[in-house]
This record gives sequence, C-alpha cells and structure tokens, in this order.
Amino acid sequence: MDGALKLGLVVAIVGALNCLSRLSFIAIFARRRVPSLLVRAFRYVPAAMLTALVLPMVVGAPVAPMAATWPKACAAILAGVVAFRTHSTLKTLAAGMVALWLLQAGLRAIG
Amino acid sequence: MRRLVTDADFRAGFADMLPASLAIAPFGIVCGVGAAAAGSGVLGALGLSAIVFSGAAQILAVQLLAAGAPLAVIVLTCFVAGLRFVIYSAAMAPHLRPLSARFQRALAFLLTDQAFAASIRRFDAAAHPRAAGLHSLGGGIALWTFWQATNLAGFFMGHLIPASWSLEFAVPLCFIALMAPHFRTMPTIAAALVAGVAVLALAGLPMRLNLVVAGVLGIVAGTLADFARERWTAR
Repeated sequence: MDGALKLGLVVAIVGALNCLSRLSFIAIFARRRVPSLLVRAFRYVPAAMLTALVLPMVVGAPVAPMAATWPKACAAILAGVVAFRTHSTLKTLAAGMVALWLLQAGLRAIG
Repeated sequence: MRRLVTDADFRAGFADMLPASLAIAPFGIVCGVGAAAAGSGVLGALGLSAIVFSGAAQILAVQLLAAGAPLAVIVLTCFVAGLRFVIYSAAMAPHLRPLSARFQRALAFLLTDQAFAASIRRFDAAAHPRAAGLHSLGGGIALWTFWQATNLAGFFMGHLIPASWSLEFAVPLCFIALMAPHFRTMPTIAAALVAGVAVLALAGLPMRLNLVVAGVLGIVAGTLADFARERWTAR
C-alpha cells in the first residue's frame, strides 16, 4: 500500500474512533440519569488515570537504568509538592525542570 | 463566534490553559519529529495532529507506520491507547448534561488528558455548567491551536533541539500540576496508589493496555475506599 494513502487511512479511521471514544458516554448520558454509584466512581477518575499516565513517564520503561530514573523521580516529587502547595502550573514546571537540570548536571560532574 | 470570543469565561479558559499549552510543547514537537522521521508529508502530519489530536496515538501511529505494520494493527493499537477517553467521557458526562448537543460534541472533540484534568476541577467547583463549559471550550481551543503549532514546529525544526535538555519531562510535570491538588482525601490517595502500582506491574501488557486497566483498578479502589470511609464515619 502506498505510504501516503496508508497514513490518510490511519488519520481517518483512528480520528473517527477517537471521536467516538470521546463522545461515547457524553452522548449516552445526555438523555439518561447517571447512576449514583457511577457518579461516586467518577470522582476518582482524575487521580487514578493521571497517576497511571504520569508514572511510566517519570520512571521510564520497565527496565530503565537507575541513573536515568532517579533524577526524574526526585524532580517529579519536588514538582508534586510545589503543585500541591501553589496550584500553579508554571511554578510546578519551573521547579521540576530546574531540579532535573541541576540533578543531571550534578550527576555529570561526579562522573 | 464574536459572542464567544468576547465571553469572559471563554477568554479565562483560553488564558488559564496557556501554561499547560506551553508544557505540552515538547510532546507536540516529539510528535512532529516522529511524523517527519516516518516519512510523512506535512499534510499527513497536520492530519494526525488536527484530527487524531492525541499525542500518544500519534506517536504510536508514526512508529508503527515507520515499522511497516499492517493498517489493522495500527488502528487497533491507537484505539486501545485511546480507550482512556471513554473513561474521561463518562466522568465528564454528568456535568455536560445541561448543555446543548452541539456544545457537548465540541467539548467531546476537544477532550484530552490536559483538558479533562483542567475542566473536571472547574465543573466540580462551578455553580453554572454553562460558564464551566465555556471555560472548558476556551481551554480546549487553546490546547488544540498550540498542539498544531508545536507539531508543525517539530515537523520542520524539531531535530535542532538537543536531547540533553530533557524537554519531554515537561509533559509529566504538566500532569503533576493538574493532579496534585486532587490529593486531599483518603479515597483519592488510595485510587492513585492502586493505579500507580498497577500501571508499573502491568507494564508488560501489549498496546498500552496497562494504562486503562490500571486506571479502572484505581477508580474501583477509590470508590471502595469511599464506601469504607462512609461506613466508618457513620458509626
């Protein structure tokens, strides 16, 4: 199959499926009452999903080398504390990036 | 359209999303670089970013395209990686019920990890669903616009940025900024702990299934902890 055609099909099909996923329950619940058990469960969607999303980005692939992992882990914990206290995306970004750069530079200096 | 642009909630939503838009720039650049490396033209890269509009799905798609995977495998992998949108959709649904169908569809199209994390807090706190909806729409449009710009920047110039800057680390930081303020109650922490352990323990699952399985396990844990807390305090 021609590369450009294949990419076009991927865009069309994956785009349509993503739209359906995004619309799914918004459309289903537009005319129905949401069961109270689900309303309760939905409260925990942000904490569960975002943790599952972030953790692999911080600690890397299952077998990432320790030297690559721990500066990121430390910087992420510091950023978490800053986020919890300030509620500011910019301050969290600044704290996390600067911490990571300092730790990486320190690591390079020791050797 | 003019009424939308002058609406205070819409503008506030747009402005509030600018820090997060900045934070996802490295992710957008990585996606653009990936598209260029996979031999895609600029139209294909833009099609991916404008229509698929999901960094994870875009990266998987271009990697699999470059590896010569069959179309069905690419589609299935990207679909499974996007299953978390179903969960976001469900969590947003009760808040969006009062809005018009057109408004719901617009917000659904713009539903991403960042948009969900930012708007669910807004809807939880807001008295007026329409105001929160306009805020969310402003944020979603900001993200979409910056996403196209950063994908294009990555497509044309991404290879110029040295890897030693670790700019991709801004992406998890952005999520940490959005989620850390949630960690105030015992069930929320239980949900995060279970999801976190599960996502690492199940890292071997194909098609990034670990993400959605860990998310569901975490949600169940949070809900059970919520019931347990209720019984505890009722005594």
